[in-house]
Amino acid sequence: MSASASAVREPSVHPAHAGFWSTYVFSTDHKTIGKQYLALGALWAVVGGLLAFVMRWQLAWPDTAVPGWGEIGPETYNLVVTMHGTVMVFFVAMPILLGALGNFLIPLMIGARDMIFPRLNMLSFWTFALASLVLLASFFVPGGAASAGWTGYPPLSARPEYTGVEWGLNLWLVAQALEFAAFLMGGVNYLTTVLTLRAPGMTLLRLPLLVWQQLTAATLFLLSVGPLIAGAFMLLLDRLLGTGFFLPDRGGDPLLWQHLFWFFGHPEVYVILLPALGAVMEILPVFSRKPIFGYRWIIGATMVAGGLSFIVWAHHMFVSGMDPRLAMPFSITTILISVPFAFLVFAMMATLWRGSIRFEPPMVWALGFLAMFVMGGLTGIFNGSAPADIYISDTYFVVAHFHYALFSSLGFGGFAAIYFWFPKMFGRMLDPALGHLHFWLTLVGFNVTFFPLHNIGLAGMMRRIANPLQYEFLAPHQWLNELATVGAMILLGGQALFVLNVVRSLRAGPRAPANPWQAATLEWTAPSPPPHLNWGPAVPVVSEGPYEYSRPDAAEDWLPQAASPAARARGEGGPWR
Amino acid sequence: MAVTRPHPRYLVVWAWLLALMAAGLAASAAPRARGLAVAVIFGTAVAKALLIGLNFMHLRFEGPLIVAIATVPVLFAVVLTAALFPDFVFGP
Amino acid sequence: MAMRAGAHGVAGATAGLEAGKLGIWWFLASEIMLFGGLIASYVVFRLGGEGWAAEAAHLNTTIGIVNTLILLSSSLTVVQAFAAAERGETRATTVFLGLTVLGGLLFLGLKAVEYAGELGHGFTPASGLFWSFYYLMTGLHALHVLTGVVINLILLAGRRWRTPHRVELGGLYWHFVDVVWVFLFPLLYLA
Repeated sequence: MSASASAVREPSVHPAHAGFWSTYVFSTDHKTIGKQYLALGALWAVVGGLLAFVMRWQLAWPDTAVPGWGEIGPETYNLVVTMHGTVMVFFVAMPILLGALGNFLIPLMIGARDMIFPRLNMLSFWTFALASLVLLASFFVPGGAASAGWTGYPPLSARPEYTGVEWGLNLWLVAQALEFAAFLMGGVNYLTTVLTLRAPGMTLLRLPLLVWQQLTAATLFLLSVGPLIAGAFMLLLDRLLGTGFFLPDRGGDPLLWQHLFWFFGHPEVYVILLPALGAVMEILPVFSRKPIFGYRWIIGATMVAGGLSFIVWAHHMFVSGMDPRLAMPFSITTILISVPFAFLVFAMMATLWRGSIRFEPPMVWALGFLAMFVMGGLTGIFNGSAPADIYISDTYFVVAHFHYALFSSLGFGGFAAIYFWFPKMFGRMLDPALGHLHFWLTLVGFNVTFFPLHNIGLAGMMRRIANPLQYEFLAPHQWLNELATVGAMILLGGQALFVLNVVRSLRAGPRAPANPWQAATLEWTAPSPPPHLNWGPAVPVVSEGPYEYSRPDAAEDWLPQAASPAARARGEGGPWR
Repeated sequence: MAVTRPHPRYLVVWAWLLALMAAGLAASAAPRARGLAVAVIFGTAVAKALLIGLNFMHLRFEGPLIVAIATVPVLFAVVLTAALFPDFVFGP
Repeated sequence: MAMRAGAHGVAGATAGLEAGKLGIWWFLASEIMLFGGLIASYVVFRLGGEGWAAEAAHLNTTIGIVNTLILLSSSLTVVQAFAAAERGETRATTVFLGLTVLGGLLFLGLKAVEYAGELGHGFTPASGLFWSFYYLMTGLHALHVLTGVVINLILLAGRRWRTPHRVELGGLYWHFVDVVWVFLFPLLYLA
């Protein structure tokens, strides 16, 4: 029953006897589960993108019918706005950045054959799949899907008669609860796996930064989601049982929801950001042929930022009517948190400095992340300062800010990761020309969409309004809305290139060698794609740090983490282009 | 093979738990000095939680990581409670 | 079947960590935040509101006291089960686990009696904020007690399956549920 000291955990199903269902559907293999998260997240990305299309069309030309949908009234617009946010944050960003990257990469990067709790891992994905089903169902129930904003503020969300949405919002809450459960299970798995299953020689300070970032993200999620689950129960009871947690006429206070929501909501945005940062921090050294700058300081700064993220939340509430005495402390902590993030940006820039830059698609996307994230971070400073925020809160300035921060993570960081690890995941190379074109269309489309929103936000355009033309003062600025929508068409349309690239590569792309990028971390010593249990009889033994590039004493210019001759032989990648 | 560590005297701990509970009950029945009574009630609650955590949950034998995992959330919960005071306790 | 850190040559601060125990503690950390959020909300509403003590006076403190005694004692029995399992005393392990399950079921039974009484007197979750919190907090806690009962029943049922390690993990969860009640009882019944 108990494992001996030298036993290696064996899979519950022998690969030769595994049928279709246990190999591809109910798999406990972390790589398959990672791909399942990726696929489901990608499907939801299509939904989220379509919802964005509807929003942008409506805002640019409010009195016309949206192609493929029809005329949009305010209630429908509320639904679209709500579900776009919910889908993108919880059903696209988290599954792709945390679920897919974390599951696929963590065991490979630490030299483990799988996660420590493979069946819990499988359960986590299927719980997420169930959450997806519930959320999808919410579109089709009478009254439609939730329409009280992705933040679900009461009293709008607490009284069904205010939105006209009955079951849609109840299902929304259930779907969220299931999603939280799925990622809690995943987080427990990641944290326990990294602490107990590292290969010989893989000390904590030799871990690739992506692993550190995934762990920090998992911890942030684990510690922040509880109060929101509490709030979700309260909201459900208000809706179903006539309680009054958030309803003033029943003795409650809507502000409590906001506190509980944002106590989670702020760490949540770092839960999304950190995995993307981790991916970029893997990519920059490889394509600069330079070690990452300030490895330990990066870990420290990330932890400081993570800790601070728990005491900044009320910067989302400056205009909520909360006690004004809270404004200054939360402004201060918010400005403070920009310090560790600024350090991370400087560390990434210092990594590039005097590097031998190779502009492969993963690198180009990673550089795009850096540039766009800096812009998002800069506008964050305005938002975080209470006096300024009183003017710009609930305007499109905030929308611009968080799209620069979130899209840089999910879009630029996410695509950087996908282009980088696609060969490892699927054993095929993506076409680099299409990859570059995809990048430029995304960069241009993204900026044309979201930069004007800063301007129109400062001009006073409010969030969540279905028809800007109803407001006379916005009429002179409507051209900005139209410009943004043109940008959105470019942005959304450009993604077709990615789909094309993936489909072509999966069918007939060049086969990927084990290490096409000449990267040093352990996943590149396994075949592309890795077999079940990741390596043959011998797990890598680690003797180096993760970023030993430009080593003058190495035969080539770099040292892989696993420096034994057998591993080096496996690691000889294809020719460097 | 679990690391066999010494076991605390569970029965003694249990007796203390009951004694603390009795103290809390006595305090709650006190007709005056409500402030002190509340302090005793919640002080004994904290003491009981510590006894259970340190002895029944073996925290006194665990390494710093597990102790941190157990303690940090409690700190965060206290921070959250404190931050809610201005809006709900001190407010209008 | 505990995976040990040492199995893969992992050195340093995390050597000797048992994966199952680590996993359970991470999970308990998230649960602390869940009940912490509930308790934080209750505390600030209570301190800022009026008439809560009057409502709380309607609670059946006797049942509350008995339930507290039951849970405290069941924490004792579940940890005795673990100690017995480590010593290889299967009979004693079964007895202690059985007593724990009994305690849990008694707690739930008494809670049901309590709820029936309160609902019978017209105190529903919609009867005011105190009652909303009371039903939500004790209800969620009761669900956790039920889960613990199920876990202990599973441990009772499978003798080969019932390793000391697993009894310990089940016990950790049970103790956590007990600690939550240690705070809920004074918050709701006494203060």
